[in-house]
Amino acid sequence: MSHPVVRRALEEGRGSLLEWEAYELCAAYGIPHAPWELAQDEEEAVAAARRLGNPVVLKVVSPDVLHKSEVGGVLVGLEGELAVREGFRRLREELTRRAPGARWAGVLVQPLVRGSVEVAVGGLRDPQFGPVVMVGSGGVWVEVLRDVAFRLAPLDREEALRQIRETQCSRLLQGVRGRPAADVEALAEVVVRVGDLVAGEPEVQELDLNPVVAGPEGCCAVDARAVLRAAAHTS
Amino acid sequence: MANGSGEAPQGLAALFAPRGVAVVGASAEPGSPGHQIVAQLQQTHYAGGVYPVNPRAQEVRGLPCYPGVLQVPGPVDLAVVVVPAPVCLVVAAQLASRRRQRGDVAAAVVVSGGFAETGPEGRRLQEELVRTLRGAGIRLVGPNCLGVADGHTGLTTSFDLGPYPAGGVSLLSQSGAFVMSFLHWARPLKMVGLCKLASVGNMADVTLTELLAYLADDPCTRVVGVYLEGVQDARAFVQAAAEVAARKPVVVLKPGRTEQGARAARSHTGSVASPDAIYHGAFRQAGVVRARTVSEFYGTVRAFERLPLPRGDRVAVLSAVGGPGTVCVDEVASQANLRLARFSPPTCARLQAVLSDIAAIGQPEGYVDMTGALTARTHGDALRALLADEGVDAVVLLTPPPTFLDEEEVARHVVEAYQEQPPELRKPVLVVLTFGDAALRARQVLESAGLCTFEFPEEAAQVLARMVEYAQARARLGAFPGKAPVGKADPGTSRGGPWGAPVP
Repeated sequence: MSHPVVRRALEEGRGSLLEWEAYELCAAYGIPHAPWELAQDEEEAVAAARRLGNPVVLKVVSPDVLHKSEVGGVLVGLEGELAVREGFRRLREELTRRAPGARWAGVLVQPLVRGSVEVAVGGLRDPQFGPVVMVGSGGVWVEVLRDVAFRLAPLDREEALRQIRETQCSRLLQGVRGRPAADVEALAEVVVRVGDLVAGEPEVQELDLNPVVAGPEGCCAVDARAVLRAAAHTS
Repeated sequence: MANGSGEAPQGLAALFAPRGVAVVGASAEPGSPGHQIVAQLQQTHYAGGVYPVNPRAQEVRGLPCYPGVLQVPGPVDLAVVVVPAPVCLVVAAQLASRRRQRGDVAAAVVVSGGFAETGPEGRRLQEELVRTLRGAGIRLVGPNCLGVADGHTGLTTSFDLGPYPAGGVSLLSQSGAFVMSFLHWARPLKMVGLCKLASVGNMADVTLTELLAYLADDPCTRVVGVYLEGVQDARAFVQAAAEVAARKPVVVLKPGRTEQGARAARSHTGSVASPDAIYHGAFRQAGVVRARTVSEFYGTVRAFERLPLPRGDRVAVLSAVGGPGTVCVDEVASQANLRLARFSPPTCARLQAVLSDIAAIGQPEGYVDMTGALTARTHGDALRALLADEGVDAVVLLTPPPTFLDEEEVARHVVEAYQEQPPELRKPVLVVLTFGDAALRARQVLESAGLCTFEFPEEAAQVLARMVEYAQARARLGAFPGKAPVGKADPGTSRGGPWGAPVP
């Protein structure tokens, strides 16, 4: 049985989850993510920012936008009420300007999470292999670096650790240039749970957690994207 | 074993040890595939009946030729079919009625092309072929393939492969040319012993996955080499490979790392393969050794057939050649899963005692440059010292051998030192003869004594790295957890492996 957020999206004819829905799905599988609040207006955004702490990240929420940064939909490191209000207005303007016709579903407010290394963790359903999990160097250069390793899901933590060790980013995780070593065990646990998620949610075609910020105290997803199978069938 | 009597083999067993083979489309014309298959079967030690079938011939290579399979007198467990695609359907119907009447013909190899690989019409022919044979309980290898061979029974359905030394190497391939190249390449020095071979072609019925699973229980198979372009049942294939790898090594060569390579595969076998990176990760997970190059594939398969598995990752490089020795040290050091060994003080003392004063010992750790100041005996003595060191798990020995020494004597000293090891504690020794086939006699002595020779220093280091990779995977595969099917989401608690997961 699919998770309720997945069922609701499918009932509404959507091919992907909203970012906060993807977090809810992650939470159900014990995958840590940055806290979030959804704000429908400036006042709500300011209140949320106050609760979540300074600085914050604002992201546009729209069922029609899968890659937020392509529509100027991500603002990082905003401090203070004025910046949050300004940011809120700007996200709205950018969406109207760069994705005309895209539906507006508010703004996601999150604290800015710092860590040592940006990792990408993903899951997908391959037509021949079935559920598969990926880990590697994250951030905006993921497509360029192609520093990723795959495993069939589900998998155990030992296997996830071997998978992580196959990537160059495992050296970064050990701590370089004075940065503290990241908690690799915690990252392996995230990989295992993403594996559980793709194996356990037959309607999820693709889950993309990029970046997952890894640090000495653990790791957490600060962006999430989930594509559903219905979308894959029609595209 | 093949014989003219006994129980009728069923299923895949009929492919490798049939009591008799009908060659449908046998021809009296030398050079034609239908002629060559009969010729190859006659030249091997295959003990079962060979029955040419062709309504237009009386005799093929001295054997009586039958007008149809129904007329063949002796038991026919396997039919090799080499007639044009549309005629294959007629033959299939005859095979089916023979199986219904006589109970034999458990399997067929259809060599002919002109099926699914050619388009929709060919696909239709192929589907009908499978329907007819399956309906009668006949298993099909192919179409569009070289079929099967068995080094032990002497069976061959390939027009390209006759007698071959028997051994422990089984090969499965989506390319007939690939396996034929390997076997013919290895043949002059008898570097490979053949167990079972299957070139699978279009895989209309029998798949790579099924054959791989079959080899898990085959006692003669010591190592399985697979040439893979892509399979539809990729998860099941990797699952079968994991099960085999828990018992014996599986070495895969899979091109398609680039978009261009993937397109070449698509036009060759019609394989629309999953992304190469997923195959790569799945192989790692399953303990399947992936060779990156053809020479690494050849070398790794050979080494697994002959040499003991290394019990650790500590490598000693023993060289009579400075440059190639340096290249080898470089390659060993750059392999993620190899370490250069640290010699014990007694080992260093022993080496000093047997080597010339100008020899360099342990510079860097794990390396011995014997220099050219040496005898044939020095090779054996130094090797002995290294093999006796508990901190050494494997040795790469490099020698030209120098022309001022008797090359066979050099080889004999190496063999002696290798074979003196107690069999259960034996460590692998990979010998690089940098003079290659100019030192043919040395190669022959070493190869026939069960050692593996190489021409290039990097090759030996890479092969050793693949051996260590397998030995490490094997240690954990023994306790492979994952058979439990994945039920519904149970966050944070499912800790099995992937093999039980359904592919929705």
